[in-house]
Amino acid sequence: MTIRVDPERNELRALRGVDAWRGKKVLEIGCGDGRLTLRLASLGTAVIHAIDPSVDLIRTARKNLPTKLAKKIRYKVGSAEELKYRSNSYDIVVFSWVL
Amino acid sequence: MVHALRETHRVLKTDGLLLDLRPGPVHRRIGIEVDGQYEQLAIMGEQLLDDYAANRAVAEVIQEGLFKPVSRTQFNCNRTMALRDFASWLADFADDRAAPQERLLQTITRAYKSRSKRKKIVVKGPLVLKVLRKVES
Repeated sequence: MTIRVDPERNELRALRGVDAWRGKKVLEIGCGDGRLTLRLASLGTAVIHAIDPSVDLIRTARKNLPTKLAKKIRYKVGSAEELKYRSNSYDIVVFSWVL
Repeated sequence: MVHALRETHRVLKTDGLLLDLRPGPVHRRIGIEVDGQYEQLAIMGEQLLDDYAANRAVAEVIQEGLFKPVSRTQFNCNRTMALRDFASWLADFADDRAAPQERLLQTITRAYKSRSKRKKIVVKGPLVLKVLRKVES
């Protein structure tokens, strides 16, 4: 299935205006196939941990991950209700179309 | 939802930001674009109850003093697709009785097939980006 989401990149423009992303540690909740994750990486973030409850979507996201971003982005199956991460560890948490 | 937001509060650093990005509670508009010209053909009429529930959850954690609102931005977000993908996309709303799928699919299919030039289906709807800042409790 080929659906282009936000070809005008308005989403990225809005996110860029939020904060200085460079060097930030980010948690993305509901990353799906990683569409937005890759856009977040382009903002200069230091690390992105991206989770989604769907095993299939995480598999797709890992498959689509460019080698040059492999050290920056970590995909993991997980739920927003039970975050398996330490307290006080992220600069920014993004809920991607999930609330 | 509220529990997920409380979990987010826990993992955020002091002064960290929570970004809530999702479609706004507005019915999506569906049309066809031919050579850059957009023509609206239908409005979806889907249920928006989940959107309202999410808004209430965000309001609740602000009320609890876990976060304070920083900004709210609304902007257009299009999805473009060919006819073969439209039916699959529409299937995501299969349980939504407020959005009559069959009639919508027929309308769009008929209009799509009647256009001979370069064409694509465009689904339009706003995205809302809310930014909240963590408040130490």
